[in-house]
Amino acid sequence: MALLYGLIWRLLLALVRIKRATVSWLRVRLRTWKGRFWQRTMAALLLPVPVSEFKQKKAGADQSSDGDRDGKGAGSRRSRWLSDGISLEKLPVHIGLVVAEEELSYTDIANMVVWCMAVGVSYVSVYDHHGIFQKNNSWLQEEIVRQQHNLLGGDDSTFNMELLKNGTDKPQHFVVSCRPVVKVLSPEDGKHSIVQAARKLCHSVEKKEWSSKDISVSMLDVLLRESKNIPDPELVVKFGPVNSTLGFLPWHIRLTEFVSLPSHKNVSYEDLFGSLQRYSACHQRLGQ
Amino acid sequence: MSWIREGELNLLEKISANILMSGPMPKHVAFIMDGNRRFARKKKLERHDGHMQGFNKLAETLRWCKHLNIPEVTVYAFSIENFKRSKEEVDGLLDLARQKFERLLEEQENLEKHGVCIRVLGDLNMLPLDLQQVIAKAVVMTKNHNKCFLNVCFAYTSRYEITNAVREMAWGVEQGLIKASDVSEALLSECLYSNNSPNPDLLIRTSGEVRLSDFLLWQTSHSCLVFQSVLWPEYSFWNLCEAIVQYQLNHKSIQKARELHREEQALQQLEADCACIAEHLQHQGNGKPADAQRRQEALQHYTVTREERVQDFLQALKHKRDTFFTNLCSETVLT
Repeated sequence: MALLYGLIWRLLLALVRIKRATVSWLRVRLRTWKGRFWQRTMAALLLPVPVSEFKQKKAGADQSSDGDRDGKGAGSRRSRWLSDGISLEKLPVHIGLVVAEEELSYTDIANMVVWCMAVGVSYVSVYDHHGIFQKNNSWLQEEIVRQQHNLLGGDDSTFNMELLKNGTDKPQHFVVSCRPVVKVLSPEDGKHSIVQAARKLCHSVEKKEWSSKDISVSMLDVLLRESKNIPDPELVVKFGPVNSTLGFLPWHIRLTEFVSLPSHKNVSYEDLFGSLQRYSACHQRLGQ
Repeated sequence: MSWIREGELNLLEKISANILMSGPMPKHVAFIMDGNRRFARKKKLERHDGHMQGFNKLAETLRWCKHLNIPEVTVYAFSIENFKRSKEEVDGLLDLARQKFERLLEEQENLEKHGVCIRVLGDLNMLPLDLQQVIAKAVVMTKNHNKCFLNVCFAYTSRYEITNAVREMAWGVEQGLIKASDVSEALLSECLYSNNSPNPDLLIRTSGEVRLSDFLLWQTSHSCLVFQSVLWPEYSFWNLCEAIVQYQLNHKSIQKARELHREEQALQQLEADCACIAEHLQHQGNGKPADAQRRQEALQHYTVTREERVQDFLQALKHKRDTFFTNLCSETVLT
């Protein structure tokens, strides 16, 4: 009997996996069908501008097009993204991209970072639980700059960003006035940083600067904020089949909304914007 | 209504349970029982009745968990943030809790039969004294039971819990039991309210909200999170099964991530120990570098003494917490 149950269980799990794979496959398929459909309609209506825009959008995803360099398409795209951002009822100040997949694609992450900023998000953090993005921080930086050029055109004066690695390091490269900040985080920034803050507090108790009774939630919060210098993420978009935060900033995700996408590979702007729309629609009661 | 429901699963449920149980099962499930008020609104009931139905659903869920061989359940009953609600509702919730814990005391025999151990996680000092006493009685009465465990988070938020753990460690430093350099991830985990439980394998939140709302942030960093849209009073056996299937799909990758995290944690501990030793040796040898063998010996010695220190501190902490509960109980005897 136990054998039979085991067999049925395996079958059940296989079925669920197949269902999941089909859904995510259909998602991609439907998107391209829809894209083609629109492209044809537009072509039929003989509207040259939107058609060229479409080509560029596709090219942007493939990152290999000459038409992409022309500033006009990039400009209209940028204003479309910006107006998308304005159209939302609320926009997160800080968005976390958590990749729970084994294979990482720098280009797709860079695309998303650029989209987030184009929509008007001020802080973007990128996380994987192996800390690979953090190790290859400079690679990711280069990719972001490249995608910024590809997607937003040559004129990047409005979208300069400050790339920080770990709170402790000095800002690297091109820090120009502008606000958007990209943070590359690893598990070290999670529990480990809470432990460090705790150790710091205990040291000052050891030196009799504080009494143990003085320690409060806000005190710890201030300490943890100092080392990161970023607000709590309001939205985390998690990529991959694993339903877990995998150690992403435990202290900071108190009120974070989680949105799950099947994969970060070939992720489209619409996927990301869908997550932002979901965030914009939710209402928090804060205990009340 | 009682906390413990008797009764078997029906045939279909039993078969499904058996099928599920041939896969890896979560040992510890945490619930955010959200949606009681929305349920009341939907059914045009009083808010209070919504909460009441929510409690009944908890009793039923505990029965399902028992049949599914899930030995430990943690529930978010009352957050510190909930004190912000209207006085009427807060009083209603506290009354409900009082009533339910009193009821629990009457069920002693049944609890003993099933071996149910009840723990309450949170800062009891925030509650009215009489409620504190009833809770303490229930906790002390069931503390030696060891078949199933129910952790009720009451006057709880995770940030508060972590801060309290830091406060306890600072207390240990003040008492001279540990040094500030002994503070580590493992020690912090041991100082949390949940120190007696393994981390939850599965966290379920109902009513379609997709956030943790300050619940077990530390403990669920490598747990499977399942968000379900059903309102808590409408939660069914099949919803629970669905969540468990989700867990089973994630099981392997989460296990791997946990393993990775454990390795990192051990490495960090070793690094911290080495740093302490380096400082110590430099101090001793007047700045001369020590040879490898001496360093190795010193490291071993240091690790052993650190572990002893930490164990003593944890003993003291446990004693402090136990005394808090027994004192509360004896106060009731006096009055």
